[in-house]
Amino acid sequence: MQLLAEETNLFDFGLVGRQLPELLKYLPTTLELAALSMLIGLVLGLLLAIIRIKKIPVLRQIAAFYISIIRGTPAIVQLYIAYFGIPMFLKYMNLHYGTSFDISAFPGFACAVFAMGLNESAYNAETIRAALSSVDRGQIEAACAVGMTYPQALRRIILPEAMTVALPGLGNSFIGLIKGTSLAFTCAVVEMTAQGKILGGRNYRYFEVYVSLAIIYWAVTIIVERILKLIEKRLELPEQIDKKKDSVPETGSEVEEREAAVQYDTNTRPEKALSQ
Amino acid sequence: MIQIRDLKKRFRNNVVLDGIDLDINEGDVVGIIGPSGTGKSTLLRCIDLLEIPDGGSISIDGEKTELSRHSRSQTLSLRRNTGMVFQRFNLFERKTALENVMEGLVTVRKMKKAEARMCAEAELKRVGMLDWSGHYPKHLSGGQQQRVAIARALAMKPKLLLLDEPTSALDPELVGEVLETIKDIASQGFTMMLVSHEMNFVRNVANRVIFLDGGKIVEDGTPREVFDTPKSQRAKDFFAKMHLLRQPEYTI
Repeated sequence: MQLLAEETNLFDFGLVGRQLPELLKYLPTTLELAALSMLIGLVLGLLLAIIRIKKIPVLRQIAAFYISIIRGTPAIVQLYIAYFGIPMFLKYMNLHYGTSFDISAFPGFACAVFAMGLNESAYNAETIRAALSSVDRGQIEAACAVGMTYPQALRRIILPEAMTVALPGLGNSFIGLIKGTSLAFTCAVVEMTAQGKILGGRNYRYFEVYVSLAIIYWAVTIIVERILKLIEKRLELPEQIDKKKDSVPETGSEVEEREAAVQYDTNTRPEKALSQ
Repeated sequence: MIQIRDLKKRFRNNVVLDGIDLDINEGDVVGIIGPSGTGKSTLLRCIDLLEIPDGGSISIDGEKTELSRHSRSQTLSLRRNTGMVFQRFNLFERKTALENVMEGLVTVRKMKKAEARMCAEAELKRVGMLDWSGHYPKHLSGGQQQRVAIARALAMKPKLLLLDEPTSALDPELVGEVLETIKDIASQGFTMMLVSHEMNFVRNVANRVIFLDGGKIVEDGTPREVFDTPKSQRAKDFFAKMHLLRQPEYTI
């Protein structure tokens, strides 16, 4: 009877909630994957963007070729290539250069991070390049005129300025990346989605488990959006700044006026209010 | 002593600077005037290597740099010996007035923060902008921004200060404060090259005036010599037009 009741139960609401803790155990894996890939993506993306913007010969062609390949192939294919390719590469190294990498122990996690990091870098490169070229030439010239080297100008002037422009785009791709980590199962990494499939395989309640997953991913995305907003707020220049208090003659009279107004309200009728 | 020799620059087929030779003594304020497109700004930008000339050399206190083929360290040392004030101010937008002035001191001259701060405050005081030190450029008027830009250039203690039309992008109302500031620092013995269209100002502040035309120095002398008794026809025409402008539109 019990069994029958459960079978007629088309959608088990309770299960959606009960499975959450099981899935959340793997949230750290998901976030680690996303964070590490983003880190690689940012560093490599910045490098590619600089190469393209400074038009460094040879490297520039390589960068364009690299970006073209990465953007022109599906992420899942890249993951498979990394998963099968990296061990093969290590095997080759072992055979030809006498190194002794333990191929069987090479973690799928590293393959996934590697592949997703490279994938991310190609997209970030374009976002960062656009942001870098949006920085006013005049400021770069001013930095040069002061005697800064290009790396100094980049670090002190150009990047802080470009950051604000690049942030929405980079945040967008980070959110994409968090969800993209669900492909990491191809490299035998058990992250949230993979765990969801395992849970679903136990009781054939696939629909419920995917709903649970959807809820978690959505919640994570909302939190990340909030954090990005906060950072954006932080980077904004203040709208208005008060001049140094002690050296401003105008504000003195403003304060007096305000005081006069307050006093007038409270019916103490000071001379100032009367004279006006 | 600054010596510029045979400075040449062309953009495609357009020869902008056609072999400029110029000796500038310490403390000189050289006003550079001339019609538009005669390479006044390009001359300054070439000296600071913001534009790479096709040929020529500059030596500042005996330190000679071939302008067309220079090493990276020569570029840096030349730029560190010169200061530039731009037409459009070009302040660092994400830094306050104080940070703008401190920036070069900290990153280029490797000063300690506290020391740089003192230095920067002194420079801001010199241009009368100390009260605005916490303001970002977007909170400052054009004239104020330009004064901060002057402080930024002066803080680096340049041997040669280049001012590229420092008042051209300003509202007429704001020109005065910037000119006042420039006049002030000119009187403090800084060596300066000043490109400007403010003829009266150049006349007052410069002790030497150069008239450029077609990439060549056409007139070179004291303001009195150049403005009152120009030798070349080109300069005469130029001043004649200037005077025409100042006459009333019609008389009865």
